[in-house]
Amino acid sequence: MRRADQITGIVMLVFSLTVAYTSWQMPQRVEFGPGMGFLPFWLAVIMTVLSVLLLVDASLRKVAAGGNPFPAPRALLNVVLVIAGLGVFVAVLDTVGFAVSTTLYIVYLLAVVQKEPWVKSAIVSVLSTGGLFVVFQVLLEVKLPKNIFGF
Amino acid sequence: MEILQHLYTGFEIALSLKNLLFCFMGVTLGTLIGVLPGIGPVTGVAILIPITFGMEATTAIITMAGVYYGAMYGGSTTSILINVPGESSSVMTTLDGYQMALKGRAGPALGMAAISSFIAGTFSIIMLSWIAPVLADFAVAFGPPEYFALTFMGLTMVTSLAGDSLIKGLMSGIFGLLLACVGVDAISGSPRFIFGSIYLLDGVGFIGVAVGLFALAEVLVNIEEPLKQVFVKTKLNIRNLFPNRQDWKDSTGALWRGSILGFFVGVLPGAGATVASFLSYATEKKLSKHPEKFGTGVIEGVAGPEGANNSAAGGAMVPLLTLGIPGSGTTAVLMGALLIHGIRPGPLLFNEHPEVVWGLIASMYIGNVLLLILNLPLVGMWVSFLKVPYNILMPLIVTISAVGVFATDNNIFDMWIMFGAGIVGYLMRKLQFPAAPVVLALVLGPMVERSLRQSLTISHGDISIFFTRPIAAVLTTFALLSLFAPVVRKFWSSYRRAKME
Repeated sequence: MRRADQITGIVMLVFSLTVAYTSWQMPQRVEFGPGMGFLPFWLAVIMTVLSVLLLVDASLRKVAAGGNPFPAPRALLNVVLVIAGLGVFVAVLDTVGFAVSTTLYIVYLLAVVQKEPWVKSAIVSVLSTGGLFVVFQVLLEVKLPKNIFGF
Repeated sequence: MEILQHLYTGFEIALSLKNLLFCFMGVTLGTLIGVLPGIGPVTGVAILIPITFGMEATTAIITMAGVYYGAMYGGSTTSILINVPGESSSVMTTLDGYQMALKGRAGPALGMAAISSFIAGTFSIIMLSWIAPVLADFAVAFGPPEYFALTFMGLTMVTSLAGDSLIKGLMSGIFGLLLACVGVDAISGSPRFIFGSIYLLDGVGFIGVAVGLFALAEVLVNIEEPLKQVFVKTKLNIRNLFPNRQDWKDSTGALWRGSILGFFVGVLPGAGATVASFLSYATEKKLSKHPEKFGTGVIEGVAGPEGANNSAAGGAMVPLLTLGIPGSGTTAVLMGALLIHGIRPGPLLFNEHPEVVWGLIASMYIGNVLLLILNLPLVGMWVSFLKVPYNILMPLIVTISAVGVFATDNNIFDMWIMFGAGIVGYLMRKLQFPAAPVVLALVLGPMVERSLRQSLTISHGDISIFFTRPIAAVLTTFALLSLFAPVVRKFWSSYRRAKME
């Protein structure tokens, strides 16, 4: 946790200094009162102080406390697989269409990520996608994305 | 008697076939979410925002509130039967509830949990109906300095109570406020922090952030290690569910203390249902003639905390509805949902949209009755839902979240916000940054900024305006005190430890 907090502190320090610099460029005062740069600038200043505090606090801590907050590589791989799949799903949704991309994503989550049998995954996926279609497209009248073939 | 009249109007609204149906759906879904470990009320409410988006505001809020208090009921079932709390607010119920189940008394434990939830829930709605209008009347006269002080207090209290580290809590809160700055500045009308994207002109989409930070992050944490599912085999039948005379005698005091305590803890920003149930358990143990028996299956250890967490859910509605200050992640999401429907919670809400407020309050009375019916005779059905493996549930949560976020605005960009918020939310959980302050600050951000800038305009830039007006002064002082409370507490405890050694 100590190393993780140190890294977080540094990342947030860079982040808040960037925000502070950007908002300093905005008007701090207008004719009658504070301008639009006022709040973000001061927030960024406080955030800078907090980042430094986190960094100092973590560095003064005894090394033994905590340990690595992130799970073992195998478990972390699951997390990466789910999120990467979601990225692909969102990216292709508009061109591939709701029906195809959702069915494939659910099969992927079940069979690839969670190692469920392929047949079971396919059945669950088709049923779930159908359910989502009924709820969103039919009941809630949302226009879900379609591919060029119209589904 | 004006209140009774309002309530009558409220019941007329809540008892319409449509609202009754959606109230039923809300509490049923809430119970289900409560029963299932790995999906909590925040996630449930966040996912429902897009689904209820097209509905009338009153119906939408009735449904979402139903999920919130319904989850308080459901959470106890898994605590008692498999020693896995369905929600953080039912952690205390595992201590004695599960022990009761091991002794073959799962029935009375489940029964008492449902009954005390009902009594405490109803108690807190009665309190809500009487206190909320009074508080709203009082707050109508608030000007910008009071509003700033109030939102500031809400933020600091939630931040200082969330998580273990004050530094991290504050960083979360400020991060949320910075997110709220993205988009067109409401006062000058010029864009800021939009990085050349037209999609960010309206600000960072609240639904995307809430769903990503809660629903998606929760899935990512759960997917690391598969949840274990173990069952206690007990015969469940309705006759078995009712507590006996001795159980009642043991529980009545605990139940009332839990109800009252829970309500007031719920009203305070930052505390909420989980803290209420912890406090109730601690109180009962302290007051008990046989504290050593706690943890071995005493029924008052179930009645008190289960009452307290339900009562807190009602209490949390008070600051949300009257002041527009949500006290927790879930109520912040509820507030975001109301704002999306064009309804601004706050003192004016009672005059501007009485149908929403009183319809909601009335629906909560009805919802509690529905929940009692759902949870007592049908508890066996909920238990069977536990057999749905998380493996199947997980893809559903992810896709419902993603499609729901898309559905609110037919906009892929919002899905990217959810995607980003999911990654940030996962990292925050791992690094022990609380997520609730981010969402709270994002919701309150525009109000914080507007009231701050208006106040400073009134005072010509003098910040003493927050200390010279009486109400603002009290609120600001409270806010500052709550900020320093954890620091003082830390020093105090290390001082005492040093003295003892």
